[in-house]
Amino acid sequence: MRKRSLPLTILKLFGVLAIAAWSILPIALIVMSSFKSDRDIFSLTSRFSFTPTLANYELLWSRWGDFFHGLWNSFLVTSGATVLAVAVSLLAGFAYSRHASRGLQASAFFLIFIRLIPPIVITLPLFPVVNWLGLNDTHLILIVLYATFFVSLGTIVMRTFIDQIPRELDEAAMIDGASQFQIIRRVIFPLAAQGMLAVAVFVIVYAWNEFLFAFIFTTTKAKTAPLVVAEMIGAVEGVEWGVLFAASAVQLLPVLAFVILMQKHLVAGLTAGAVKG
Amino acid sequence: MASRTPLSALALVSPVQLMVGGIIFLPAIYVFWLSLNQSSFGQAASFVGLANYAKVLGDPYFWRALINTVIVVAVVVHVELLLGLLMALFFASGVPFRALLLAIVLAPYAVSEVSAVVMWRYLFEPDVGMMSQALAWFGLPPIEWAVKPSHGLFMVSLLSIWLHLPFSFIIIYAARLSVPDELYEAGAIDGATRWIAFRRITLPLLMPALLIAALFRYIFAFRLFSEVWLMTGGGPARTTEVMAVYLYLEAFRYNSFGAAAATGWLLVLASLLLALFYLRSLYREMFRKHA
Repeated sequence: MRKRSLPLTILKLFGVLAIAAWSILPIALIVMSSFKSDRDIFSLTSRFSFTPTLANYELLWSRWGDFFHGLWNSFLVTSGATVLAVAVSLLAGFAYSRHASRGLQASAFFLIFIRLIPPIVITLPLFPVVNWLGLNDTHLILIVLYATFFVSLGTIVMRTFIDQIPRELDEAAMIDGASQFQIIRRVIFPLAAQGMLAVAVFVIVYAWNEFLFAFIFTTTKAKTAPLVVAEMIGAVEGVEWGVLFAASAVQLLPVLAFVILMQKHLVAGLTAGAVKG
Repeated sequence: MASRTPLSALALVSPVQLMVGGIIFLPAIYVFWLSLNQSSFGQAASFVGLANYAKVLGDPYFWRALINTVIVVAVVVHVELLLGLLMALFFASGVPFRALLLAIVLAPYAVSEVSAVVMWRYLFEPDVGMMSQALAWFGLPPIEWAVKPSHGLFMVSLLSIWLHLPFSFIIIYAARLSVPDELYEAGAIDGATRWIAFRRITLPLLMPALLIAALFRYIFAFRLFSEVWLMTGGGPARTTEVMAVYLYLEAFRYNSFGAAAATGWLLVLASLLLALFYLRSLYREMFRKHA
């Protein structure tokens, strides 16, 4: 074993600090500043030591009720999109894992190909159609759009995970007279939990944070939290930083905690989806 | 080999195919038709051939947007790959608190573009922001993203790199972890220095992952919208627009659906062109394995 010299250890520590600062400092700063009074927000002396206050959160509550409505919408849309995307990806992932034919291969290729089309392009024809169907400013339209933009990746990830489940298990079930659907429910579903979690992580992070579709397809009733934060950034009489920080912190922290908890699944999904897909 | 697909398998893939076909593929085709017509909201379309393309290609704002997009994509993707590679190698060489550090590195993945814009605007707020003060301490002027186009694009690039570095990093790091240690041991026996080991072992084995990461990031960076929209709104005077912002403004502000559709179809073509190599190898691999 090579022995580490002191300068190398110091250099390494410096690298660790630099990486950590780059990744977490902007986030920490926002969360910290959301507890600062207006006076302390841009003050040099109170950068890290200050008297915490909940004033910004109170202001957010009293003046931006819209924001909490937006959070609720975000929650509904994210849940709906996640359930839909995971369910249909599971079914398709199973089919692609267990069957192979030219037709199926072509359809799998089509799925990957479709991921290349930029979302903004399809807003042009969808906008009038969505209006005509009366789906503008509804949760449903966002749920369907978010799920649709993730089922390609979801299917690839599910196929990769289901490939690791021994075929003998479903063949045995088939001999016992189980239908395809029963096999998925009884055999695959419990064993593919890892994969479903991986897909769910992607959809949750995407749907919770998405801006473009929400910007184009919602106005008031189904407006999501990122849109309200964007409105706060663009407020005419100068930016009210404190309230903005409070809103950002509330929007950011649940999904940040979620990603940290689920990081193993996130990494597994990323490598299964991107490298093997 | 006889290719037969059980009906049940088709039934299982049909929800996914219907969603993707109905909500992405058909509309994308329809955009092509739109791009050949003169139309706006509530207006009957009339066929104009390639006039919309001519209009878009003759619009200096379009070229500005295209050049901005190419610059931002080139900077963002390459800086990201370089930083991702350096970080992956750094992690692989053994770091203290590895699990904790990994969680920290992944954190920006959870952040919305909106919150990221809030953060970086706060950091670079002229005169009072932490980074502006740091710049001033080095005798440098503050970043005036709302006034100077190049500064606006700089902020957009910085933001994008910050948000997407976790993606590039993870792909490269996963590939680095799958390189067997024996190769380095064998290399060490043969007297390879660190640099030679990197050139001859690490880099070639990481190449496929680097290419995949680059490809995905090119395609996703090319459709860049929210960061620009929220940071500069495309201003001042339409100088920081990127392709998606140009498309949005044409369609939803200037009601020029034909021009927007032409831009959209150009975006699709560009994305496909970027992915051509990947699609070709994917196609070969898929049909060789199962045909």
